[in-house]
Amino acid sequence: MRKILLFITLVLLLASTWMALTKGRIEGPSANPDSPVRNIIYAHVPSSICSLVCFTVLLVTAIGYLATGNESWDHVAAATAEVGIIFATVLNATGMIFSRAEWGPWWTASPRLISSAILWFLYVVYLILRSSLPGSKQRRARVCAVFAIIAFLDVPMVYISARYMKEIHQPSFTFDNPWQRGAFFMGMVSTMFLAAMLIWIKTDILKIKSRLEAE
Amino acid sequence: MRYFWLSLKAIFIKDIVTELRAKQVLPTMIVLGMLIVWVLRMASEAVLQSEAVIGPVALWIAFLFAGLLAQERSFATEQQQDCIYALLLAPVDEGTIYLAKLFVNIVLLSIFEIIIVPVVIVAFKLNINNWPALIGVLLLGNIAISSVGTLFSAIVQLSRARGALLSILVLVILMPMMIPATFALLLVFGAIPPEMIGTGALAFVGTLGSAVGYMITFDAVFVVACWLLFGFAIKE
Repeated sequence: MRKILLFITLVLLLASTWMALTKGRIEGPSANPDSPVRNIIYAHVPSSICSLVCFTVLLVTAIGYLATGNESWDHVAAATAEVGIIFATVLNATGMIFSRAEWGPWWTASPRLISSAILWFLYVVYLILRSSLPGSKQRRARVCAVFAIIAFLDVPMVYISARYMKEIHQPSFTFDNPWQRGAFFMGMVSTMFLAAMLIWIKTDILKIKSRLEAE
Repeated sequence: MRYFWLSLKAIFIKDIVTELRAKQVLPTMIVLGMLIVWVLRMASEAVLQSEAVIGPVALWIAFLFAGLLAQERSFATEQQQDCIYALLLAPVDEGTIYLAKLFVNIVLLSIFEIIIVPVVIVAFKLNINNWPALIGVLLLGNIAISSVGTLFSAIVQLSRARGALLSILVLVILMPMMIPATFALLLVFGAIPPEMIGTGALAFVGTLGSAVGYMITFDAVFVVACWLLFGFAIKE
């Protein structure tokens, strides 16, 4: 079952890359018309949505763990945080490349840029907390769940505080032709598949690890 | 309800009295705060006329780091001779323990503020045109720093690198509040000309009212959330 899904993910990833680079290529108004940098949107937007989805899953698993005390929730939480930080890193890296090419600076204070930087920091701190807490496994899981909930509450606070700042980010993007829309849709689907598969595999690894430790 | 107040008062007075007798953390906080302020004062010498802008920033940095010292202590003392078990065994709701520790941290940070604010005003040659706003903004910042710090202090109590872990946890959550908080202090100290407020000339396009409103929301959200989650954080 998993092998089939992994194969589908791979096919989707290849298809979306192909579409983005051929028929879906974005040409258009830009600081530098020859620059292909606008195509970064096919990696940037899906990973931004994916890192937010991972954060929401983290909240759900945290509440699930605190409510039930079932260890499986904690395994999913750890896996989700690790996958989330990958997508948050891709989000910030692609954003910085685009910013440098189109606007000049690598990074500047603007609502969405601040929000995604803080999102990345929240993931990093969550993982540091996870790896540096002594005591029983249950205590670690509980404490990490508490931090995940507080961190999730921080996200809307970041958005509100950043709303008062000047915006330089692209307004919502409109595509010219169905190929571009298709490439974008494929990018979204394949990224979601990739995230789900990574979380699934990592959760299983953590489960086996904890079973081995128990024996 | 009466029992709640009695137990809150008992824990609060216990902590304040221990601190006042042992003077474990308040002197360190004050000296650290003054050093931060003076280091930034020296740095601001590099640019002429930069005092009005760097002063409020120095004030927040001093508060954040002094606050971390106070919060780290609030559960570290309970670890000695396993006092924490006695506290947890007492027939008191965990939320009450949180609120009592929160009030202790707020009081310690307020004492610190009373001493450090005049130092900043003198060092950075600041003028205050709105005293009530200054006190309000400082108090709101104080509550925000203490609310998050008290919860995380309970989380890191068993860890060996307690201070380091506490500082990254607290600073990452408080990051968004620093934008409106610094903006509000800049307005209170008159570092921003009135005609620029609310325009696109500044990165922050709100007014003093919107910054204060944001801080009130931040405080309300995190005090309630930390109070509710504290029971999970403190249990063994």
